[in-house]
Parts: sequence; C-alpha cells; structure tokens
Amino acid sequence: MTTSIYTPEMARLVKVETLTALEKLFTIELPGGRSLGHSPGQFVMLSLLGIGEAPISITSSPSRSNGIFELCVRRVGDVTNALHNMQPGDMVGIRGPFGRGFPIEKMRGKDVLFAPGGLGLAPLRSLINQVLDERGSFGRVIILYGARRPQELLFRNELEEWIARPDVECLVTVDRGDETWTGNVGVITTLFPKITINPRNTVAVTCGPPIMYRFVLMEMLSKGIPETQIYLSLERRMKCGVGKCGHCQINHLYCCQDGPVFTYTQIKNVEEAL
Amino acid sequence: MTSNGKPKVAFFDFACCEGCQLTVVDSLQTHLDLLEAVEIVQFREAISDRGEDYQIAFIEGSCTRQADEERLRKIRAQASVVVALGACAHTACVNALKNLHPLEDVRRWVYGDQAEWYDTYEARPISAVIEVDAIIPGCPIDREEFIRVVKALLLGKKPPLPDYPVCVECKLKENVCMFHIGKFCMGPVTRAGCGAICPTYGDGCEGCRGFIPAPNENAMKDVLADAGLTVEAIMARFTMFNTYLVSARKADGEERR
Amino acid sequence: MKLMILDKSALAPMVNALRADYRVVGPQARGPQFAFDVITDPAQLRLDYNTTILPPKKVLQPQYERLLSFNRREYQVTPIIEATPTVLVGVHTCDLHAFLLLDQAFSREYPDAHYLERRRQTVIISLECLEPCDEYSFCRSMGTLTSDTGYDLHLTDLGTAYAVHVATETGRQILSRYATVREATEADVRQLNEVLSAKWPRFTYRLDFDAAELPALLGAAYDHPLWEELGERCLACGSCTNVCPTCYCFNVFDEVDMQLVAGERWRCWDSCQLDEFARVAGGENFRKARSARQRHRFMRKGKYLYEKFGELGCVGCGRCIRACVAKISILEGFNAIHQSA
Ligand SMILES: Cc1cc2nc3c(=O)[nH]c(=O)nc-3n(C[C@H](O)[C@H](O)[C@H](O)COP(=O)(O)OP(=O)(O)OC[C@H]3O[C@@H](n4cnc5c(N)ncnc54)[C@H](O)[C@@H]3O)c2cc1C
Ligand code: SF4
Ligand code: SF4
Ligand code: SF4
Ligand code: SF4
Ligand code: SF4
Ligand code: FES
Repeated sequence: MTTSIYTPEMARLVKVETLTALEKLFTIELPGGRSLGHSPGQFVMLSLLGIGEAPISITSSPSRSNGIFELCVRRVGDVTNALHNMQPGDMVGIRGPFGRGFPIEKMRGKDVLFAPGGLGLAPLRSLINQVLDERGSFGRVIILYGARRPQELLFRNELEEWIARPDVECLVTVDRGDETWTGNVGVITTLFPKITINPRNTVAVTCGPPIMYRFVLMEMLSKGIPETQIYLSLERRMKCGVGKCGHCQINHLYCCQDGPVFTYTQIKNVEEAL
Repeated sequence: MTSNGKPKVAFFDFACCEGCQLTVVDSLQTHLDLLEAVEIVQFREAISDRGEDYQIAFIEGSCTRQADEERLRKIRAQASVVVALGACAHTACVNALKNLHPLEDVRRWVYGDQAEWYDTYEARPISAVIEVDAIIPGCPIDREEFIRVVKALLLGKKPPLPDYPVCVECKLKENVCMFHIGKFCMGPVTRAGCGAICPTYGDGCEGCRGFIPAPNENAMKDVLADAGLTVEAIMARFTMFNTYLVSARKADGEERR
Repeated sequence: MKLMILDKSALAPMVNALRADYRVVGPQARGPQFAFDVITDPAQLRLDYNTTILPPKKVLQPQYERLLSFNRREYQVTPIIEATPTVLVGVHTCDLHAFLLLDQAFSREYPDAHYLERRRQTVIISLECLEPCDEYSFCRSMGTLTSDTGYDLHLTDLGTAYAVHVATETGRQILSRYATVREATEADVRQLNEVLSAKWPRFTYRLDFDAAELPALLGAAYDHPLWEELGERCLACGSCTNVCPTCYCFNVFDEVDMQLVAGERWRCWDSCQLDEFARVAGGENFRKARSARQRHRFMRKGKYLYEKFGELGCVGCGRCIRACVAKISILEGFNAIHQSA
C-alpha cells in the first residue's frame, strides 16, 4: 500500500490577494487543472511542509471552479502566518475536500437567508455564489453581514455587487464605525428587525464566532424559521479531517465528518455544540 | 541578518550556574549543522568576540538585582527575539528559594561581611522584567529541545512549548510510575519536554521545568499527602524550582478548575 | 478449527524459529511490572504476566509514528507506511476486544493505511486469563474475559502445555512451520474444559449492573454531580487515556532537518484529558473544565463509541485506574452513576 489519507497533494498558488490587514485570498490550482469537486461548506486540510496543517473552508463556489479554488485565510498562527508569506508559484499541500457541506438541493425553491459574521463569510460565500449562479432556482436571497469594523469587511467588491443587485437583499453592519463609514452601525442582530420574511419558506444559514452565532440563532428562531431549516457551520480543532484524531468531537459528533455544517435540530441538544 | 543571510545569535548570562550554556556548547558539538544555520556573535562560554548586532538573544539566569534590569532592557531593545534559556531565566528556579527568607539574612549567608556591597533583591524570571518570546525550560535545558526551538525560530514558527505534563512523556515511554514503587513525583503538574528523563532513570520529577499552565495544585498535594509526604515535605517539593511561580499564583488567586 | 497441544518446552524453540522471519513481540518484565516489547531471547517472554503498563495497542498504533516524508525545496511528499511482519504473543482477551474496536475505527469511512497495513502484517497469538490480573480489572462485567475471534492462535495454559486453538489459516501455517505440536486428545479437551470452567468463579462481576445498560445510563447522566467531583481530583495528566487499549486519538506534527529542507510528518498519541486538546487558535477552549474532560472520557468509553461502532469503548482492563495517581476509577464512576439513577 502506498497511498495514505494523510498525504496531501501538492497544488500551486496562482494568485494571492490582500483582503484586509489579517485576511488574504489564495487561488489554488490542483495538478493538471483538475477540479476539487467540492460542495459549498466543505473544507480542505491545507498543508505547509515543515510547518503543519490547518482546516480551511473552501470559499469559492463549485459553479465557478474552472480548475481552481479559493481559500480566504486569516493569519493567526504557524500555518496561516507562513501561508501569508507565500507568493504565487509557491506550492501548498491539499487534502480533501472533507466534511458535509450545505444541502443545496433542500434549498431550491426556497427563500435563503444568509447571516455570516466576520470570517464566517468565507464558507458562506461559496454557497452564496452558487445560489446566485442558479438564481432562478431560489426564492428571495437575503444576506445580512456583520463585521467588527469597516476595515474588517471581507470581499468588499462582491458585497457592493450584491447590494447593487435588484434580486438580492444585502444589508451590512459594523460593530463600530469610523469617519468613512456611512452604513449601519451595530451588531449583526440589529439587522434582523429590518427584514420581514416568510419563515416557513425560508432556509437560514450562519457561520461566525460562537458569541455571534448564539445570538443569530436566537434571532432566526424568533423569526419563526423551522429548526430543520436553520444551518450553521462550526469550527473545532482538527488534526486529521477524516474522523480519526478525535480533536474535533462535539460530544458524540465529529465536526470533520458529521459537520462542519449542522442543522439546528441536529445540535440543539448537543451540549458541547452551542 | 548577516550578509550570508544567517540570523545573528547572542547568549547572555545572569544569576545562574551557566549549566545551560554548557548544554548549548554540547549541542553545538553534536549538531555541527547548527553553526551553518546561524552566526553566533556573542557567547562568553565559547567565543571571546562580542558583536552587538544580534537578532536572537538567548538569556540564561534570573534577574536578581536592579542593575540586571537595565542590561535586560538593552538586550530587549536590540533583539527581535528573546529566548529565556533554562529554569533560572524561565522561573527564577532555585534562585527564588531565597525569596522565602528575609533578604538581609540571605545577603549575610551568601556574601558574609561584604553583604552591603551587593544590591541583591528578590530573584525573578526575566519575563518579570522584559517581554520574552520563547522559553526553553529545564535545569539544565534539554539539548534536543534547544535544537527544536532554534529550528522553529528559523522556520518562523512559534517555538514549541508543551502545555501538557511530564506524565504524558513518561507514560508514552512506558515507565513504571514512581508512585507505584513508593517514590514521589511532581510529573503530573510539571511541563513536559524533557522526555520524562528523571522517572526514566528511576527518580521522581522535581519540577525543574516549571508548572503546566493550569496545574491542579490541590489535587497534587492530596496525591503527595496520600503517598505519605508531610505538609512540609510537600511544600518543599512545590517550591524547589517553582517558588516564584507558586507565590505569583497565590498572589493572583489563580486556581482554575 | 482445530485444537492442538504445544508443550511448554516447545515454546522457546517456537519463538526462536519465529524470530528468523518475524519481529516477535510479547510481555516482558519491566521493573516490578510488565510491558510488551520485542523479544530478543525467548527467556524474556513472560506469559505468566498479569497486565502491562501500556496495552499491546502500541504494536498496531505506535506512540510515535511517521506518516510521510517531505522535501520543502522540491515540494515532494512521500507517504511512509511503517509495518514489519510481526508475531504478537500473549495478548489477553480484554486487549483482543479492544483490537476489534480499533479495527473499526481505522477502517471505517476513510481507511487508515498506516494502521491497517500493520494490522495485516501482525499475527496474533492470544492467551486466556485464568485469574484476574489484579484488583483493578473488571473484564467479566464488560464481557471481555474470553473471545472467540480476533486472533490467529489462542493459548490456554494447561500446566505443562498450552492448548492452542487454531482460528485462522495463518495460525495453522505458523504452527506447522515454526512449532512442534500435536493434536489434542479427548483427555486434553476434557482438561481444557475443566480449566475453563474452573476459571469463571475466580472472576467476580464488579459492575453493579449489566454493561449493556451503560449507554442509556450515561445518556441520562450528563449533568451528574460526579463530573464536578472528578474535576476537582483530576490532574489532567492524560495517563488514564494513554494507557487505555481503546483510545486512539492522536496529534500530528512536523520535524525538519537543520537545513530546513527535508523532514517528516509524525503522529503521536494524544489525550482528551489535556488542557490543549480542544483549544483553537483564537484561544477558545471547547472543553476547558477538567470536569468536562472527565465526562468526555467516560462518555466515550460507555456511550459514544458504542453508538458509533456497536461496541463499548471500555473493555474493563483496569489500566486507567491503576495508572491514575489521583485514584480516579472508571468502575466506581460507572457504579456511582448507576446508584443514583
Ligand atoms: C472546518 C473549519 C473551517 C475553517 N475555515 C477557515 C477559513 O476559511 N479561513 C480561516 O482563516 N480559518 C479557518 N478555520 C480556522 C483555521 O483552521 C485556524 O485558524 C487554523 O487552524 C490556525 O492554524 P495555525 O497553524 O495558523 O495556528 P496555530 O495557533 O499555530 O495553530 C496550532 C494548531 O492548532 C490547531 N488549530 C488552531 N486553531 C484551530 C481552529 N480554529 N480550528 C481547527 N484547528 C485549529 C491546528 O491544528 C493548528 O495546526 C477553519 C477551521 C475549521 C475547523
Ligand atoms: S512517574 Fe511521575 S511523571 Fe511518570 S506517570 Fe508517574 S507521576 Fe507521572
Ligand atoms: S522529569 Fe522533572 S525534574 Fe526531571 S528534567 Fe523533567 S521536569 Fe526536570
Ligand atoms: S489519570 Fe487520573 S489524574 Fe490523570 S487525567 Fe486521568 S483521571 Fe485525571
Ligand atoms: S477505560 Fe480504563 S478500564 Fe476501560 S478499557 Fe480503558 S483503560 Fe481499560
Ligand atoms: S482485565 Fe481480564 S482479560 Fe484483561 S488481563 Fe485482566 S484478567 Fe485478563
Ligand atoms: S479532525 Fe480528526 S477526528 Fe475530526
């Protein structure tokens, strides 16, 4: 036997864009321009030889893959710092895609409400763009996005496109504004009163820091969205991505295999989840 | 960086036995390639030259007097990375034992009639005076760990420092537990990284690498008491290498469950 | 399959013969205790051992193991599968049951070639326990005091000889190539049956309830006061999980040479009892309290693994109790939960 689930495939960085002071967008090409074959919400194990591995959500939509995929990465530690120092042409290791993504087939025909906070936009952007590329198959598309400060907003060009599109309702807020900011100020939950929805026909999706999604879930529930139609993507420490190392467990669930995307029904009684 | 691209490294010593620097000299002899990776510009134990343009400073020893503080701040201002080398720099080690006695007595014991000459004060780890980027614990340091830290610094990684206790390394080596043969051991609260060297050779861990970040001190005391140690003997084990830490934790009231 | 008889005097020649073609691993003395290790001299093999500090799991999942090698300059990665043909002698039945669980963990969904290849190359000669290993074990309660699967050959001590149950074709070949044995006579079978029926009364039920109730009991005990109590006493040293035959969690790290070019990716045993196990980069720790980590261990042993694999995660070997310097006992814990239920 010469293959191993732990051996990454080497892939080329083809583009590196700075998004904010902490986040960069990396465009990656697999050997031979092969498609990654992911679904929105899945992640890869990103491997830098000699440094280590980190789980990173795929932020590009499968509908726009063209032999490449994108990762939006915040620099926080060894792997992410080293990645931020890399240039186009450098190689990174990729394992995956792993995990259960968003069940897009269950969303077709429905209104979709996205409520990402901060870096939580990275995994949701994959789904948002897929939905927009098949715009006709969905009802309303509502995006509520919150970041701490204006400089921390990710994908500003795309945000502006979404705001400009007549078939997308997109509201953006920041916790603290500055002199250049003319938009909403307040935490993401302050956007919820600004929208009216048909809860039975709405699928809601969130991702972000724990303190944020706990409140967002409450907003979604109080809007009357059924528990089975609320999805969130969770983050845990991961060392293998394939259900072996034990690090990502949330009680009996494995974030890397049973998740990272869960319905609210699945986790509402799972004590370590929320 | 030097013109050859190698980072410049300097070693400094404060109050200590210099045993750790000897371990470094030892490592240099067994890892000759280390000298190809860095350039040493200051190292009293090994070279007589003194360069002042270093990027990485390894500091050995505790801060024991006012004058040390000035010297430490100067090093901090020059170096981009400061590494506390060994238990004396990391925890103030046995130097801090004197903190348990009134300073006047200590001066007299140590310096006799010349006590007035020395402006010694409570021994403290260098992190009490300047910011420290990395720690190599131990009395003396473990040479493999020294090499690992140097490699991590060269790779731009955060130097590894285990947060788990000596028991982990001890069990993975499948040692007979000291408590099973009537000996005492501080392994459960002591930071790993030494390869559990003392239990491996049949002695209980004395805690020379300092405590793990959230030691369960009360449970450790219960275990030692259960194994037959008196309160005094337990305190002696807690303070041998960790007087400064124990006092600092008491001051913080830091007892986490 | 067949029952054969291996005279005790034929054991050393068999081990020596095996050593020519295999790495032979078996229980040996380690100070006053025992440990599985490579046998270089048949005299080291102590089939009279009670239990070992670490379980024989370490043969299938070593404490430290290379997963791959790499070259950072050439961006080259090569998997490393470290496996040697091995005969593992003297595995007690509790540890056999643990192997069955590990087999599932490493073969489900994403098969782990590193484990599975070692497993494939390991011949298992197990050994029936005739007396409790010590006061900590509770294998009878967990249903692991015997096993009819998971081995190639199974030995039962008949005094001057071993009865050898031949369970697989590999086992048959091992005997025919490396050992001098004879077929069991009716008298041998009678003696074996006597020995086996005499053994059971020596083992007591130590769990106050049927182990099959464990998952349900624990399911109702999430907020039990026991966890807080254990959290106070626990040192978070990880020994209980490091000695457990059914724990398989691991950590992964990279090592590079001094030139920072060539290196290896390693994995090593890890423990959910350690403070950093569930900590992420931002500093959030999803299982920060020691009480929550103790609960996680109990839940994994008595409930989570059962739900995943259909086997309890505790085989009653008692190693975790023996290893815990704070004298925390999973057996007493299970009983305490049952008592208050
Ligand atoms: C499913 C999933 C998707 C993610 N998607 C993204 C993303 O799209 N963009 C992004 O910037 N970040 C994402 N993260 C977080 C990212 O994995 C961590 O920031 C990263 O692991 C930090 O690694 P490091 O080596 O830079 O940091 P270090 O602090 O040096 O981390 C040390 C080790 O701890 C572990 N670790 C630390 N933090 C985390 C964490 N939050 N999650 C899992 N393991 C951790 C890793 O194994 C890492 O090797 C995601 C995490 C998960 C679980
Ligand atoms: S000998 Fe010490 S370090 Fe080793 S397991 Fe026992 S208590 Fe822990
Ligand atoms: S076992 Fe304890 S005393 Fe011995 S070197 Fe390690 S930390 Fe120091
Ligand atoms: S061995 Fe005992 S003290 Fe150590 S982590 Fe386990 S239960 Fe806690
Ligand atoms: S939990 Fe304890 S008794 Fe049960 S299998 Fe593991 S080590 Fe043995
Ligand atoms: S726990 Fe039971 S089966 Fe296991 S070694 Fe002890 S007596 Fe044998
Ligand atoms: S990441 Fe290893 S089990 Fe989930």
